[in-house]
Amino acid sequence: MLSSISGIHRHIRNTFNALLSKIFKKKPDMKLGLYGPVNAGKTTLANRICLDWLGEELGKASVIPHETREIQIKEKVTMNHNGKSLNFNLVDTPGIATKIDFEDFLKYGMKKKESKQRAKEATKGVIESIKWLDKMDLVLVVIDSTQDPINQVNITLLGNLDARKTPVIIVGNKIDLKKSNLKRVREAFPQYEVIGISAKNDKNMKELYAQLFKKL
Amino acid sequence: MIRIKLKIKFIPYEKTCNDNFKDLLKDLQKDTIILIDAKLKPEQEAELIKKTMEKVSEKFSGIELSSIDISPEKDSTLFEKLRGFVFQLTTGKRRGMTVIGPAHIITKIEKNPEELMLYV
Repeated sequence: MLSSISGIHRHIRNTFNALLSKIFKKKPDMKLGLYGPVNAGKTTLANRICLDWLGEELGKASVIPHETREIQIKEKVTMNHNGKSLNFNLVDTPGIATKIDFEDFLKYGMKKKESKQRAKEATKGVIESIKWLDKMDLVLVVIDSTQDPINQVNITLLGNLDARKTPVIIVGNKIDLKKSNLKRVREAFPQYEVIGISAKNDKNMKELYAQLFKKL
Repeated sequence: MIRIKLKIKFIPYEKTCNDNFKDLLKDLQKDTIILIDAKLKPEQEAELIKKTMEKVSEKFSGIELSSIDISPEKDSTLFEKLRGFVFQLTTGKRRGMTVIGPAHIITKIEKNPEELMLYV
């Protein structure tokens, strides 16, 4: 009986401490993750953040799906805003998908062998992305604002982050494009903060950075 | 006229509870569409995506997945909320339905809050 009470006490204390450390961001190696479906612009955003605060890019972005097939980390990124600074490790993740067909890559002029290899690596990338969900302290869910936001990847992703109590900001990317519909993204996920940006054209990044400071 | 043969299998939610989607993936690889009588938890969906990725090959490109959640809405009456709560508590299920299909058969699933539309 006593040991069971002590176990409950320990559980409450650990939960409380974890909550406190999240609120007061004591973690020295805080991880900011970029998550989202394929081709939403995660790596373009990662490159924009790295260019703005480190003066160098993180990885190669491409119109061919699954360009990022491994977790990419830029350590010790420091952001400054209104006299405050924020230190974190930026984690760019492979796009999450429920299907990967090697034939889709052939349309981009890739050879069959190369396409098969890319598909194989992409499946591993999706698995890695999901595994890394547990390690994140804050996640930017990057959504292509020209596409329908209600898709299973976004729903599963946000549901998992919610279950883990990980803070989330939804980034509606590609607002420079004519088809962009940020209102649709906001209506799809009314319970989340949605910031519209164009990572490629450096649009609205200051608002995103301000929101990051608010969130942490 | 083009005839398409579709196999649809109904699975009780309880069969997915141990997060072992082995049998389910075997069916999906054999061109079967799966219907589950509840909404999967987000963690189960993520696990299913992971397991699916392990099975992706030249013949099996993955899945289309979608679900309807019929848990009480915010503006539901107290009775409806209580009924939903009791249902989840006693059965362990999230009220709703899940559809999973092989991606080479189901090209798209359109979802609105109350219905799912499968395109083959």
